[in-house]
Amino acid sequence: MARITIADTDVSFECASDDSILRAGLRAGLNLPYECNVGSCGTCKFEVLAGEVKVLSENAPGLSDRDKKKGRQLACQCLPLIDCTIKVRQEDGVPAQFSPKRVKAKLIKTTDITHDIREFQFQSASSAEFVAGQYAMLKVPGVSGERAYSMSNLPNEEGVWSFMIRRVPNGQGTKILFDSLKLNDEIEIDGPFGKAYFRSDSERNIVCVAGGSGLAPMLSIARAWSHQGKRNNQRLTFFYGGRQPRDICGESMLQELPEFNQQLQFVPSVSVLDADTSQTWQGRTGFIHEVMNNYDGVDYASSDFYIAGPPVMTQAIMDFLRETHSVPHDRIYFDRFF
Amino acid sequence: MSAVNSVETDGVIRLCQVKDVEEGNGLQVNLPERPPLAVFKIEGQIFVTDDTCTHGNASLCEGEIEDGVVECPFHQGAFEISTGKAISAPCSIHLKTYKPILKNDEVFVNLNETSE
Repeated sequence: MARITIADTDVSFECASDDSILRAGLRAGLNLPYECNVGSCGTCKFEVLAGEVKVLSENAPGLSDRDKKKGRQLACQCLPLIDCTIKVRQEDGVPAQFSPKRVKAKLIKTTDITHDIREFQFQSASSAEFVAGQYAMLKVPGVSGERAYSMSNLPNEEGVWSFMIRRVPNGQGTKILFDSLKLNDEIEIDGPFGKAYFRSDSERNIVCVAGGSGLAPMLSIARAWSHQGKRNNQRLTFFYGGRQPRDICGESMLQELPEFNQQLQFVPSVSVLDADTSQTWQGRTGFIHEVMNNYDGVDYASSDFYIAGPPVMTQAIMDFLRETHSVPHDRIYFDRFF
Repeated sequence: MSAVNSVETDGVIRLCQVKDVEEGNGLQVNLPERPPLAVFKIEGQIFVTDDTCTHGNASLCEGEIEDGVVECPFHQGAFEISTGKAISAPCSIHLKTYKPILKNDEVFVNLNETSE
């Protein structure tokens, strides 16, 4: 256990030797900057002024040569070897409602969602505390490192954590999850993390945009909205983009919400149609930002936007919202994964 | 530093005087009904960009400037001032730049024309 002190403040916190400085700070309830937790986004840059750290990945893409020259590191990649004094900028505003915790959880159920996305349900002894839209880091026995996955269900006292995971071709981690992990096998869940969580106090209309396994956090947000957050005549438009018709999912789960096809609209689209698949797909086609552009039901001036999906999709939606519709930063919520 | 402006014809708007901008610094210019712009002076040359970082709601005029690069004060993402190119994470969206029009030691831009 090391003590981490933030320079020029009276703030300090304990950090276990196998914990990153970022996560230990979040566990202590600090509002530290971060998004991805895995060294890619570059949001958690900080400086170690005194002490010594072990760096998990020396070549993390989130750190530029320029950053290295300035002596910066990524807090998500640094484990303390001894007590440290660090320089970091704490974010304005309040931190997320729940500080992350590490819990053991058992696999209790799996359900295939599409040809390559499967829902995995785990159960922990303590309650599953998170806000809809957040994610957790999963450590699976036999898999090196951790993977970030968003919860698709709602927080609950029963301790159920549901994740929708896409099988990565030739991916070691998902191979073990899909092919080896059995019911009652135990994994470690560390969470919740993420800032793209549902703002239940907003009265604006909601637009959720999902692609791939980004379905999970957007579904959780739609469920939370239906369950507790809905205000007045607030509408939710749910866009889902897949490459082919067989990638499209989410409708059966959204149909369970009483608002479906009333205040809640589901707008799926596929981006690749060939001679075979065009026989079976009668819906919208094109990239999701193009579909949004041609869809009349979105009020860009007064909606909150939640985005989860592959980086290319997230980037395209961001460009579209920012450039075409001048949607301000504080109405767009997403956590970037790479 | 910041300034508020003013007279607009055909999208051309006056931002400030050249002397208002300190060498190696940025001047935030607030405009009606639109996000602020940043006027930078680098080795005597004037550059105009959006002032708000493309990653978060931060003013780039409050960031450090070094070697023609401005760094966001929030998460140390960075942009090349002359091109607006995002060169350091977490920034990935390039910054919009505007071609400055210099007339009688005053800086104008045409808001309808961004220089890519």
